[in-house]
Order: sequence, then C-alpha cells, then structure tokens
Amino acid sequence: MSAAADTKEQVAALGEKYKYGFVTDIEMERAPKGLSEDTVKFISAKKGEPEWMLDWRLGAFRRWSEMTEPNWARVHYPKIDYQDAYYYAAPKAPEKKLSLDEVDPKLLETYAKLGIPLSEQKMLAGVAVDAVFDSVSVATTFKAKLNEAGVIFCPMSEAIRDYPDMVRKYLGTVVPVSDNFFATLNSAVFSDGTFVYVPKGVRCPMELSTYFRINASNTGQFERTLIIADEGSYVSYLEGCTAPMRDENQLHAAVVELVALEGAEIKYSTVQNWYPGDENGKGGIYNFVTKRGDCRGARSKISWTQVETGSAITWKYPSCILRGDDTVGEFYSIAIANHYQQADTGTKMIHLGKNTRSRIISKGISAGKAQNTYRGLVSVHPKAVNARNYTQCDSLLIGGKCGAHTVPYIESRNSSARIEHEATTSKIAEDQLFYCLQRGISQDEAVSLIVNGFCREVLQQLPMEFAVEAQKLVGISLEGSVG
Amino acid sequence: MLEIKNLHVAVGGKEILKGLTLSVAEGEVHAIMGPNGSGKSTLSYVLAGREGYEITQGSISYRGEDLATMKTEDRAARGVFLAMQYPVEIPGVTTLTFLKTALNAQRRARGDSELDAMSVLKLVRQKATALQVSEEMLKRALNVGFYGGEKKRLEILQMAIFEPALAILDETYSGLDIDALKLVAEGVNALRAPERAMLVITHYQRLLNYIVPDRVHVLAGGRIVAEGGKELAHELEAKGYAHVVKEPA
Amino acid sequence: MNAALPSREARRAEALESFRVRGMPHRRFEHWKYSDLRAVLDAGQVAQSGTAAWQVEKLPEGVELFDLGKLDAPELVMRNLGAIGAKPTMKEASLAFADGGVALRVPRGRKIAEPVTLHISSTGNVRLLAVLEEESSLTLMESHTGDAGLLRNVGVEIALGTQARLSHVRFAASAPKSITIEHIGVAEARGAQYRAHFANFGSRLSRTELHILLQEEDAEAHLSGVNVLGDEGHADLTSHIEHVAGNTRSTQLFKKVAGGHSRAVYQGKITVREGANGSDSRQTAKALLLGGRAEADLKPELVIFADDVKCAHGAAVGDLDPESLFYLRSRGVPEAEARHMLIRAFLEDAVAEIENEELRASVWHAVEHALPHAVRVSP
Repeated sequence: MSAAADTKEQVAALGEKYKYGFVTDIEMERAPKGLSEDTVKFISAKKGEPEWMLDWRLGAFRRWSEMTEPNWARVHYPKIDYQDAYYYAAPKAPEKKLSLDEVDPKLLETYAKLGIPLSEQKMLAGVAVDAVFDSVSVATTFKAKLNEAGVIFCPMSEAIRDYPDMVRKYLGTVVPVSDNFFATLNSAVFSDGTFVYVPKGVRCPMELSTYFRINASNTGQFERTLIIADEGSYVSYLEGCTAPMRDENQLHAAVVELVALEGAEIKYSTVQNWYPGDENGKGGIYNFVTKRGDCRGARSKISWTQVETGSAITWKYPSCILRGDDTVGEFYSIAIANHYQQADTGTKMIHLGKNTRSRIISKGISAGKAQNTYRGLVSVHPKAVNARNYTQCDSLLIGGKCGAHTVPYIESRNSSARIEHEATTSKIAEDQLFYCLQRGISQDEAVSLIVNGFCREVLQQLPMEFAVEAQKLVGISLEGSVG
Repeated sequence: MLEIKNLHVAVGGKEILKGLTLSVAEGEVHAIMGPNGSGKSTLSYVLAGREGYEITQGSISYRGEDLATMKTEDRAARGVFLAMQYPVEIPGVTTLTFLKTALNAQRRARGDSELDAMSVLKLVRQKATALQVSEEMLKRALNVGFYGGEKKRLEILQMAIFEPALAILDETYSGLDIDALKLVAEGVNALRAPERAMLVITHYQRLLNYIVPDRVHVLAGGRIVAEGGKELAHELEAKGYAHVVKEPA
Repeated sequence: MNAALPSREARRAEALESFRVRGMPHRRFEHWKYSDLRAVLDAGQVAQSGTAAWQVEKLPEGVELFDLGKLDAPELVMRNLGAIGAKPTMKEASLAFADGGVALRVPRGRKIAEPVTLHISSTGNVRLLAVLEEESSLTLMESHTGDAGLLRNVGVEIALGTQARLSHVRFAASAPKSITIEHIGVAEARGAQYRAHFANFGSRLSRTELHILLQEEDAEAHLSGVNVLGDEGHADLTSHIEHVAGNTRSTQLFKKVAGGHSRAVYQGKITVREGANGSDSRQTAKALLLGGRAEADLKPELVIFADDVKCAHGAAVGDLDPESLFYLRSRGVPEAEARHMLIRAFLEDAVAEIENEELRASVWHAVEHALPHAVRVSP
C-alpha cells in the first residue's frame, strides 16, 4: 500500500462542516411509543425471538423499572421522558434480503453519502461491513471469506436464532443485566447489533467493521454487541458512527461485551462522530454506553481505542476486567468537546489476576463552552500479585469558557502492585499558533495540527483506515474554536 | 520591495517603535543593529503580523501592498519569512509533517498545486543535506528536544524550502558556537539572490563578518539613529553603541 | 455591626438542624467512599460526645487568645465563627455540639516567631478559630494525643489577611480505638500563605478534611503530610483547594506508608474557577503498601474552568523499589536496615516541608516510633 506513509501526512480536506447531516426518507415500522412490558414483547415478537430471550428481556425490564437514572457524571441534560420515545424502528423489509442487489437503493445511497459505498466494500482490502441502519442489520458482506476461517460475524438477531447456545452462554456475563440503568434498559429493549465469534487459534483474516447510524426521529438506539475470542485467537473490530442532523435529542444506550479466552486478543476501535448539536447547544445525541471486556483466560488481551468527537453528551467508560493471570488491558482515548458538548468518559481497569498489566492514555480537548471529564478507576484486588498500571491523562483547553476535569480513582489492595498516574493540563500556546501562522498555515489548520500532535500517541493505535478519518475529525470538530 | 514609513508600534499600550523609516530593495541584505530593548524584535514581529503589536501610526508597504492589513498566514504565503530567535516546540507533530503542511498551505494560497508526501520528502532531503539536518531530526517532533543549533538550522532549512521574497532573521545566531554560526551563515549566504531581500536583526557585530550586509541601520529608542555601509558595523564593534547612539543621524 | 450578625446560639441551632437533616456521612456519599463513618458511629453518639478539652501551652506575646466557651465573644469571633469554608455535616456537628474551643488573633503586622501549641487529648467536639491580620505571621502546632475511644471532632476556621502567613503543623498520634475527624476551612486574602503539614499515625477512622479558598491574587497554599500506619490504622486526608482568583498557587505533597491491615486515603480536589488565569497547582500523592492486607486509595482530582493555568498531578502506589533494595544490600547494608533507609527516603521530601526545625524533628521522632509497627513482616 503506497499510503503506508506516515498517516499524519494525510491530514487534509479540512473546512467541511458536519457533512453527515441528512435524513433518509424510508418508510419506518415502529413499536408503539413508550416503554412497557408490551413494548418489550413487541420487539421480541417482531424479531421472532425464542422464549428464553423474551424472558431475559422482561427480567431486565422489571429490574430497570426499579432503577433510577445515575447522576454522578459531570453532565447536565433535561430529564429524559422514557415514555415519550419509540423503542423500535425498522425499515419495512418483509422478506430477508439475500444479496446487495435486493437492498433498498435509497439505503445504499445513504451509505454512499456517508462515504461507505457498500457495493464497493468488496474492493476494499480486508474490511467487512455489517451495516446497521437504525435498528436492523440489512446487509452483510464478506461472509464467504469469514466462513472459511470459521469466524461468525452476523447481526445479533441472527445469532440469537442460529447460535442460541453461544449467545446464552455469554450474553450478559460481562455486563450483567442489572449493571447500570442504561445497560439494563438496553437489555430490555436492544434492537440489534453485532455478534462475533472467532474460533480457537484463528487470526481473523480481516478487520471487522460496523457502521452505526441513527436515522428515525425520536427513536432510541439500543445496540447490543457481543464479541467472543476463543483460545489463542485474534480479532480487530472497528466501529464508526455518524448520525443525521436532528433538532431533538436522541438517546443512544449501547452495550458492548467482549470475552477473551486464554491467549486471545481483541482490539476494539471506535470513531464516534454523531451529531453533537449546533453551536448553541441545540440538538445532538445523548450517548450513554456501557462497554466492557473480560480477559477471562490467562494471557489474554483487550485493547480499547476511542476517538470521541460527536454527541451532545457522552457517558462512556470502556473497561477491562483482568481476570486471568498475565492478562493485559489497554485504553487509548481522545475525547473532544466543543461548543456545548459534554463528555464524561474514561475507563476502569480491574486487576484480579496475577501479573496483570494495564495502560491508560487519555487525551481530552475542551473548546467553546464544553465540559470534558476524564473519569477512571484502577483497582487492584488482593490476589493481583505484581499488577502494574500506568496512566497518563492530558487535558488541553482552547479558550477560557470551557472546562477540563480529571477524576482518577486509584485503589490498591496488593503490596506488590505498582500504579503510576500522571496528569497535566495545558492550552494551545499563543506562540505555537503564531509560529504556524508565520509559516503560512491557517488558524484552523494550525489548531488541527497542534491538537493532532497532542493526540499522537492515541492516533497511532488506530488501524490505518480509521487513523486518517480520525485526524480529519479532530480538525473538523475544532473548527473556529480559536480567534 | 519593503517601504516602512514613520512606523509607530505599541505593545500592551506602550509605544516601542517611535517613527521608524526603512527602505529595502530587492536583492539587498540589510542589517538592523541595536542594543537590547531598542525595538528590534518588535520590528520583526510587526512585519510578520504577530497579535498584540499595534500599529498606531505610519505604514508598511510590501511589494506595493499594505502589509499591515494582511493576515499573518497570508503574509507568509506572499513570501514574508521570519526566522525566529526562539523557535517554538510543537509536541507530537513531526518536523516533516509540519514542513509539508506549511509548504502546501502556502502553495494553496498562491494557487499552486499541492505536493504529495514523496515530493515533499524529496525536496526537504535535497535542501537538508547542506544544513546538516538529518533524517532523524525530520522524524522528531518539531523543535522538541532540539539543541539551540539544531533549531536554528531548521529555521534556515525552512527558509530554503519556502524560498521567501523577504527573509527576516531575528537573532538567528544567538547561542551558537563559531562552527554552528559559520554553518548557518553559509546557509543564509547560499540563499542570497537578486529577487530576495533579507533583514538581518542582530546585536552581534561579528556575525556581519560572515553575512556581509549591503546596508547597516542602527536602531535605538524605537527609531533608526544611524545608517551606513558595512563599515558601520566595524565602527560599532570598535566604539560601541553608546558612541553612535549619542549622535543621531 | 454586631447587630447585623446572627447570635452564636442562632448559628449553633442552624448547624444542629443541618446536621440532623443530613445525617451521618457514609460510603455511598462520594466523598466518604473510603471512610464509612456511619458504619462506626451514629448521630446520637456524636451528640453525646460533648465538648473536648483543649490546652494552649505558653502563649507567646502578641497573640490574643479567647475562650469560645465564654459568652462575651468579640467581633472577630462573631464575624468568622461558622463562616469560613464549606459546611460539611461533621463540621456542622462540631459547631452544634461544642460548648467551647479556642480563638486566636494575631494583630496586624505582628510576626510571631515562637510556635503556639494547642493540645487536644480528650474526646468530644471542639472549635478552633485563627485570625491572622494583614502582614502578620504565626506557627501553629496542633497536637492530638490520647485514645479514649469514641469521637474527637474538630472544626477549624482560619482567616488570613493580606500577606498574612500561617505555618500549621497538625500532629496526630496513633489512636487505634478512636474516631478522629477534623475539618479545616481556610480563607486567604491577597498574597496570604497557608503552609500546613499533616503527620497522622492513624486511628480507627481518621478523617482530615480541608477546604481552602484562595480568594485573592497571589494567595498560596502548600500542603504536605505523612502517614505511617500499622495494624488496623486508617487515615483519610481529603482536600479541596479552590483557586478563586488568578495568579494563585498551590502545592500538595503527601506520602503514605501503610502496613498491616491499614488503609491510607488521599482525595485531593483542585478547582480553578472561570477567569482564575495564571493559577498554578501541583499535587503529588504516593503510597507505599507494606502490609499484605493494607490498602491505598488515591483520588487526585482536577476541575478546571480557565485555560491559562498550569495544573498537574501525579499519584503512585507501590512497594519499595527492589533495585534500590538490592543495591543497598549489595553494599553490605542488612535488609531490615536497607528497608528502613528507603522508607525514610520515601518520606523525606514531605517531612522536609515543615519549616520549623523542632517540629520537623518531632515528626521524624514519631515516624521512627511508628515504623516498626508498619514494617512488621506479614505473610
């Protein structure tokens, strides 16, 4: 690949506003408004689910009914009326699509606008796409190649039907049904999502990728993802998000569960670019996500990389449970909040096994009137002999009206463990900007350059395809923030 | 090329330049000398367009255009280059990335096509050898952890790459030992050209043994107090500023 | 002017009401996560614990002292009592239930060389108020001894005038049976300096909480402290420094040695308010876990609303560095001695923050006394 040159070189094409703001006009099929046992039953019936799945959902709904929304994060938003939303919306698609040719052309057009022309995906080296349009997966490619390797990569609804034993064995074992308010809500009403199983000793032959979009007005989006990497396997999963422009706030509460068995490795990368609301804080997505990985087997590894530039509110803490001995957890994060965005994000590294290692690199950028919080926990349990953690948390402020906050919790109960945490706060220096301007670089481009430099350690963790997009996003999301 | 007339500049409400007049023609090298606090750096910043340097009176004309109303980056695109006394560190941004970004920004502003990564690399390599800027330096973050001499060489390298019409060298030689100074001076001399003017700002007379100016101006108290040929620099070295400053021209 | 101020009894009644409404703090309160007070104490016991006795050794000339138990409170007391810093529950309790305490005043311009030592050794609630007027200075040693059980709850208020300087050393001897709580509120005017060192050797539950307001430019706060905990000791230091004005500075350096089943807690929150440009804040908290069942909980928190600031924090938990240990042993230093040397070295920079030589020596003395309990070899 000639593009193997320094990906930083590809920072270009700035000057675009939020370009993914459009709405596709496709007839929707909706569940009745509001949330009740009937809604849950409707969703389950709609998807033709077995009884055990319905029972699981109903159990979650009952738990959720007794829970209260958490308020500890540094985010503020008007009270969400959970009865004033739709919990299921699907493009009207009476029979199962068999090939790309049968997919609604309008839908394909939508993907083209998003820059993911599905029909051309096959030409792209090594990327299989499971496209989720609102709540139902409509097309999956690269099945053949994955089948050959024995990798299962399919919509969750399909997995429930085709691999019920596997789903029952793992679903809810990393994020329990009653884990938290939003995860429990998801467990009751999750619409669809992705299921991945990589068999023993298999190195997944390509990067797996899913593009999520939120489309229907007033529709909560409740994705459910489950990835299982069996002994000695490896998989890299890319998740990218864009959403159409909307005035009303839209709720999103996804749950992602990762299970790494002995010697397995899962790399999970996210670029989140949902509609952040306008310059005045109107509109935007509410993003309340529960992501957790379980290094269940010895010597397994889970690595989270995220670039969070979108959403009006981000509430997200991709975490690792380092259960097996010699397991490794990583969290690399870039969170950018501009205008009136609020981000409260971070991670939890729970060291349970011996010789467990974790590493946290967080880069937070605040601009405009935004609030950006890193919140993280490093917990070493008594049996985690020789556990190690290194955390670096840097905040960059652009302008004097925003906030940058760092809330790390460090809890150690083993005397042989070592934990190191460092945090700094800085701003884009006036002399750095002047230097760039003097060399002919425009203000916005200079900000993008400097911020990309600040984020370099994290950007380097992203797979090539995402690194380029992420660098552009960094620039776009901070346009006009200086001067 | 550059016509400065009765220029008054205030910084934070305090007047630093108090009626400076200066004329530089194409192909000429002018030295601006003067004691500390005379306004030398203010002059370089106001020409480059740094924020906070307010022109209260007078004018700056550059190739027939009013420089004062131009944005900083537009001045750069039109060939104004300031080699800074203290080049700025930008963590995480490699030197090569920076050079490419700046070069292409300037080309874009001038309506030229942008260069791809390979062409930029080729261009940079070709210019870097003479200035002993290594590949390794190009891969490091811009100016981060560079020695004083490395930073100054990188400034001259940028000048060689951007090929400005007006190069302002602000104390580019401070903090260099004699070998480094010779290397930098050679780099600068190699860039002397009929279509290019240079403004060499320094309080260090001996530098002008290596970069021989066409004209020498002495700046004191915010205005030019003496002017002459290269021999004026020798006179200053022999007699000191006090001698010249006392007898304003 | 006095007429406009509520009476002392009115304030105490208000504090009592506030305590009753809010109840005992417990681990579900974010700031009490690592010190579950309700599990070891109930509100009735707080009320019954009465007033603690205090004693001031030799009052240096120039310092005025007033007994808060007496009724004819001067204006300086009435102006400040219950008015400085946040009003957390237990501080409200100390105001509500303490019938006495001590107020100190250092008049304008007086620089007092000799330290004032305040001894508190009984159980109960007590209040301390220190007012340092413009350009005055004082060293205050607060010494806590005795382990009579139940509760000692101290509410402290400190007002520092322009350019005033207080050097505060709080020494708390090991008290494995007692619950010791102290809340210190500090308000600083332009150019004032508050330096404080907290040497705490642990109690059944020990909580020292600070709320410092750097209200005007060039105000500074420099906190340091050491814990040496053995057996069942607990020591929680929770600080909140607010950079209200610009060009204010704060530093914190805390070193904790935890052996046995002990628990060392540090929660440090820095707030830089909008517009407080030029604020400079540094925070370091490190813990050495020596006991197999010991626990360290560190939470250095930054809340920043201004961009032109320098804020950094570092935290670390670990064991003694094996390489250093090996180095010393390879040079012939026996292991026990080598460990001792390294622990002392670990604590050194925090203790060195104590300016007064005598007080520094007495803290070292206490550290030496406590160390054998903390390093006792555990499986």
